[in-house]
Amino acid sequence: MTDIYIPATSDTPEINFKFSSNTLSMSGEAYPENGVEFFRPILRQLQSHLTSLNGDAIEFNFQLTYFNSVSTKIFFSMFELLNEYAKAHPNCVLLNWHHDEDDDTILELGQDIQEDFTWIDFNAVVLA
Amino acid sequence: MLIDLFTVFREEADANGIVFYYSGILSQNVIITMSDSLKQKLQIQDEKGARSRKVFSTFIEMIQNALHYSPGAPDSDDTKEGSIIVGKKEDKYFIICANFIQKQHETRIREKIDPILEMSADEIRQAYRTQLKNDQHSDDTISKGAGLGFLTLARDSIEPIQYAIRDAIGYENELSCFYLKATI
Repeated sequence: MTDIYIPATSDTPEINFKFSSNTLSMSGEAYPENGVEFFRPILRQLQSHLTSLNGDAIEFNFQLTYFNSVSTKIFFSMFELLNEYAKAHPNCVLLNWHHDEDDDTILELGQDIQEDFTWIDFNAVVLA
Repeated sequence: MLIDLFTVFREEADANGIVFYYSGILSQNVIITMSDSLKQKLQIQDEKGARSRKVFSTFIEMIQNALHYSPGAPDSDDTKEGSIIVGKKEDKYFIICANFIQKQHETRIREKIDPILEMSADEIRQAYRTQLKNDQHSDDTISKGAGLGFLTLARDSIEPIQYAIRDAIGYENELSCFYLKATI
């Protein structure tokens, strides 16, 4: 699987999915005109990469500072994929959830993800 | 004469705490440019991070809603139009967005928002979580979004969101004007 690197724009995040080392990072802001169209190919590649793995450890760095409601829903499905992988391979997915100290929206979404996707090891990182 | 009128318009806007106002053609590029401007304005006002982010998020949800769901403006080649205002009154920000809707969608929009207006903050949060997990975009074939937009607005608004649907003057048979307001 080829790594994915997409630089950030004003309304789309930087995507740095190093499938070769299983280090996946996203940062920036996400409010594209058509979120499904933007993220679908990325999620497809992630999904097919996951099926090729067999217990390899994955580290996901989620470092977005703003995302609209459509993107929120897409990220939720993305973590669902990672949770399924972690269910088959316990302790293999680490999610580093970066958020500003006073950003209760992203903090609460992190709490929801933690509650719903219990196979993922969740690590909250407070940005200084 | 027109200069006088515009002077009054500007002075009234300033006196009423208007931070940002736009009325015109909508596109994603216009939205990105407005976002930059609004962010800088909020920064200059030294708005605390949490509140500034909620104002920004509300702004994006509303204006993208107008871009995605409004029909083409009358007598245009499917050009989207909308108006949005951000202001501060008694230490609360208000954001109001206005756009055309097709008259036939009026009931559908009311059915979507009215239940949210009745919900407590906890119920909004629960409905938001349910919608987040819902794989189907309900049985709504028109909604292109995640069905989360209005719930996101309601969740972040410190007062219940408000809306109004009014006749579009000159186009009463096909179009209405949809107004939506949130308070941060």
